[in-house]
Amino acid sequence: MNLIFDIQKSIEEHYDRNAFCIGQEYHTYKELAQVISNIRSAIRSKIKGDETAIGLITNDDLQTYASIIALWLEGKAYVPLNPEFPLSRNHMIITQADIRTILDSSEENVFKDEHQTIATKELNTFPVDLTPLEVSKEDLAYIFFTSGTTGTPKGVPITFDNLSAFIDAFWALDYPITKEDRCLQMFELTFDLSVMSYLAPILKGACVYTIPKDEIKYSYIFELMEDYELTFSLMVPSILHYLRPYFEEIDCPSLKYSLFCGEALPLDVTQEWSTCVPNAAIANVYGPTECTIFCTDYTYVKNAENKTHNGVLTIGRDMKNTATIIVDNDNNEVAIGESGELCLSGAQLTPGYWKNETKNKEAFFYKNYKGKNIRFYRTGDLCNVDADGDILYLGRVDFQAKIQGFRVELSEIEFHAKVALDKVNAVAVAFTNAIHNTEIGLVIESDTIATKDLLEYLKTKLPAYMVPTQIKYIQNFPLNTNGKTDRKKLKEMFS
Amino acid sequence: MEITTIKEKVSNVLTTILEHSNFEMSDELTAKDVDGWDSLSHMMIITKIEEEFDIRFKLRELNKLKNMGALVSLIQSKS
Repeated sequence: MNLIFDIQKSIEEHYDRNAFCIGQEYHTYKELAQVISNIRSAIRSKIKGDETAIGLITNDDLQTYASIIALWLEGKAYVPLNPEFPLSRNHMIITQADIRTILDSSEENVFKDEHQTIATKELNTFPVDLTPLEVSKEDLAYIFFTSGTTGTPKGVPITFDNLSAFIDAFWALDYPITKEDRCLQMFELTFDLSVMSYLAPILKGACVYTIPKDEIKYSYIFELMEDYELTFSLMVPSILHYLRPYFEEIDCPSLKYSLFCGEALPLDVTQEWSTCVPNAAIANVYGPTECTIFCTDYTYVKNAENKTHNGVLTIGRDMKNTATIIVDNDNNEVAIGESGELCLSGAQLTPGYWKNETKNKEAFFYKNYKGKNIRFYRTGDLCNVDADGDILYLGRVDFQAKIQGFRVELSEIEFHAKVALDKVNAVAVAFTNAIHNTEIGLVIESDTIATKDLLEYLKTKLPAYMVPTQIKYIQNFPLNTNGKTDRKKLKEMFS
Repeated sequence: MEITTIKEKVSNVLTTILEHSNFEMSDELTAKDVDGWDSLSHMMIITKIEEEFDIRFKLRELNKLKNMGALVSLIQSKS
């Protein structure tokens, strides 16, 4: 697999340069190579050959990033486990992915029993060896778990072939990174935008700047940008909403590329942001985890017209290795300008959800496209495409929401809330707050009740970003003309 | 403004935004110690404090707010 050889080559070529800046501390590629080799040696001696999916505790340190590369050199996949997520959720992932070994750089192991833990901070030094094993295209690079409708997260496996196709298509966009670049990595490692944020810089010998977990993200990003003169960033638009009141104070002429992904990007904020980063090309990229990180791209044009819908920038056109179509309910392509569900195909597309045939039947289908029988993925995103081929995002076709770029199935929140409420009905809604970020509200069909126990329960089942921030009560849920709960009306209860 | 007055006002802001008062207003108090004080509510708390004291924080100052003591003395220096 060329991708893994490219990683090896880049690390070896850039030994004297900085690979990471983590919590104000620099680590060179030479150091990275040493830590990778130590971890790799432990993997070889402790993990059986048939064990392919390995758990990784997502700390913000060199060992955690080195673990990813070490696993890849051995042809193994990583499954990120956020130590701040509820134990029950992590256990669900461990069981589903059949994880038997966990790499953990914490002072004290996060998972105590049942599993083998390799403590990556306490390893002996071994000779540096970055030569990859023979890896096949179908071997998995990672499995990321996203919110699922029935209270169980679903796994998205991504192969080395998928990842190579992404990297190939990313370079083709011509947002180049060189060894001189300083790149932002603002994402939790359970979020696939993190993969692009560390992998692309490593492939070019650039330096990756991370965010310590105990810092307030948006203000720390701003300091990194100014103090370290970052040149490349990929962010979720909600960071812009947080920073917006302070735009006047921000001046980052060093930034060359400013990419956004994960949520709708409003045109007005983008315009204002462009004055904070006067020399940067701004791009809006789009894609679900299922299609490896992102797969469509639009470059914002300064001082000229940009295509929008309801003030939201277009997500542009397919990248090199992706083909998109927009279909009606019967999977027929709709005419130009008509709206339908956006479907994706191509080399970046996951082989399918992890051990979940029901979901796979729902989400993937075959269709004759340009004379070939092609497998497509239904994104659940309502879109239309114009005569130039630019795709406009109109909204969701289902009840999914995005919180700070994380995908959230509202039904998963409802599922757990109803368990805690003991048969009292509850509806979760995603609403836009005063600073234009999305928050989760919960409406309970009852008189006002004490919610401390409910919230305590939800915190043991859901990651923090999925726990409702506001709760309202109503005697009876309003119904729409179809006789279904009128979620729109319920949403209006929040502001 | 008196430190005690500032502390009282900040405590009220926290109670309003977080909808509980399960915290002790010591100088060593950090966001981690308080239920529901995450990056989203942090933004709302900061905005509310700016309103209450009629002051304006700089973005750079926000990173220096490591604990309650730092927050209170920053407010005092501005009001």
